[in-house]
Amino acid sequence: MPEPVQYRGMTLVVPDNDSEWREYLALARQHRLMLRRCRACKLMRYPPTHACPWCAELEWDWQEVSGRGTIYSYEIVAHAIQPGFRDVTPYPVVLVELDEQRGRPTPDEALRIVANLVKPDGTMEDARNVAIGRRVRAVFQDLADYLALVQFTLTDEPPEGRAWRLPE
Amino acid sequence: MSAQSLRDKYCIVGVGETEYSKNSGRTTRAMAVEAIHRALGDAGLRATDVDGMLSYQNNDSTPANWVAPDLGIRLNFFMDVVGGGSSTEALIGLAMGAIEAGMCRTVAIFRSMNGYTDLRIGGTGPRATAPVRGQDLAQVPFGMRSAGQNFALTFMRHMYEYGTTSEQVAHVKVAHSKHASQNPKALLKDRVTVQDVVGSRWIVKPLHLLDCCLETDNATCLIVAPAERARDLRQRPVYIMGVAGRVSKPRTDFHWAHGPITRVAGYYAREIVFGQAGITPDDVDVTGSYDAFTFTTMLQLEEYGFCKKGEGGHYVSSGIIELGGRRPNNTSGGHLCEGYTHGMSMVIENVRQLRGTVDDYCPRAAEGHHSYDYAPGRCRQVKDAEITMNLGWAMPPTGSALIMRR
Repeated sequence: MPEPVQYRGMTLVVPDNDSEWREYLALARQHRLMLRRCRACKLMRYPPTHACPWCAELEWDWQEVSGRGTIYSYEIVAHAIQPGFRDVTPYPVVLVELDEQRGRPTPDEALRIVANLVKPDGTMEDARNVAIGRRVRAVFQDLADYLALVQFTLTDEPPEGRAWRLPE
Repeated sequence: MSAQSLRDKYCIVGVGETEYSKNSGRTTRAMAVEAIHRALGDAGLRATDVDGMLSYQNNDSTPANWVAPDLGIRLNFFMDVVGGGSSTEALIGLAMGAIEAGMCRTVAIFRSMNGYTDLRIGGTGPRATAPVRGQDLAQVPFGMRSAGQNFALTFMRHMYEYGTTSEQVAHVKVAHSKHASQNPKALLKDRVTVQDVVGSRWIVKPLHLLDCCLETDNATCLIVAPAERARDLRQRPVYIMGVAGRVSKPRTDFHWAHGPITRVAGYYAREIVFGQAGITPDDVDVTGSYDAFTFTTMLQLEEYGFCKKGEGGHYVSSGIIELGGRRPNNTSGGHLCEGYTHGMSMVIENVRQLRGTVDDYCPRAAEGHHSYDYAPGRCRQVKDAEITMNLGWAMPPTGSALIMRR
């Protein structure tokens, strides 16, 4: 079993038998955002679970996606619960909707991922720059030689629809 | 299938709780025993009349088969489930099922926790530094661990989609603080204003400090028995008309995948519980919508049809949910002001509302004499409350519901 990874005071444990996250995080370490794609109905899913939530098929393949998406919702944590986050408050958590497979198989469904919004150098983005509708791309935060976190950073693209943030 | 076959066949016959505090100074076992003892006294039951026991917990409590023997109770059925909010209503349904199956006759349901002095409900302390593995890897490494952090994305999206404002939602805290000012048990009895709420410090945007409930040490108990038994007991029977739970959204493991994320589990529980009860939201006199946060109360009232989806901000700020309004919510002050009980206290309060014996400051409240004067430090009894509804929340994708009548 690989050594647990220390990150912001947390111990991330990804044992060999973690058949959901181990490969996903190892692929992220190769700086590739890969999702599981059902071999029967061809729909991708996240998190990397063991059956297709739409057709219950057990067989799947890894499929690379662009990592491009739009901020669907966000929050700004002012009071950190985890001690390792206290030095970065207020920090943004975003829910990113990926460009692939939006509105499928039903109009309200999409591939969405929780992450921090970070600057290109990996530090936390200024909370004032976060808004629903802003465009982002995946960046990879290497934590060990077999594990990276998928984070997102702002792009220069215009926002999708109106960019909205909570009034001050 | 007869969806209404159990309507009015079961009752809540006894309720009880310990003091709500931030320093219980004793074990969850001791508190559970006291809460059950009080509920037995309330019902006019002897300890040995109880032969079924259910509890819920998150590895922060004492199981039923340790608590029951302390009171000399031998159990024919017991179960301790892992779960938090929304377990209350679900376990009431399970208690009815256990009795219906002939496994036992009278069931005590309890929740006991040192939610302030031991395992902090807000997530600080040992929970914040626990190893992160499995499904937690999807959120926790990004600083998203506490309940407020887990729900805030839903709340923010609601503000974006529907124009809901912080000021509108703050009215939930304002209303519940008014109710708590009539409740001798409440931890926070001071009334607050909208400005107090939106002026309090940010915890996780869009939640201010006063949008969040109180971590509390306490135990609570409800006793379920068949209606024919209830009619011989001490209190006016409170009949269970319908129950649903724990109902989930699709993809409850990662509910962000299935939109709209502003839709919560009540959307799916609604038809079950109203179908059983044979009523509509318009028939409900009092609601108990889980207020872990101001927003959770609003989201559920929308989803169960007390207003249109998206109009929850208007509904909760219109005066409807306050004592004296059309349909008061959480007349005890709820989790925001009375104390946090993982949902139990909201059912207890509604039982007392239906009996007409809410424990406010009216001198003869226990006999059902109330002034209906909702000035501070007076009355919180709703006049002639006939039907109540509890809307139980665990997370956006998990919820339960209960409709009771007098």
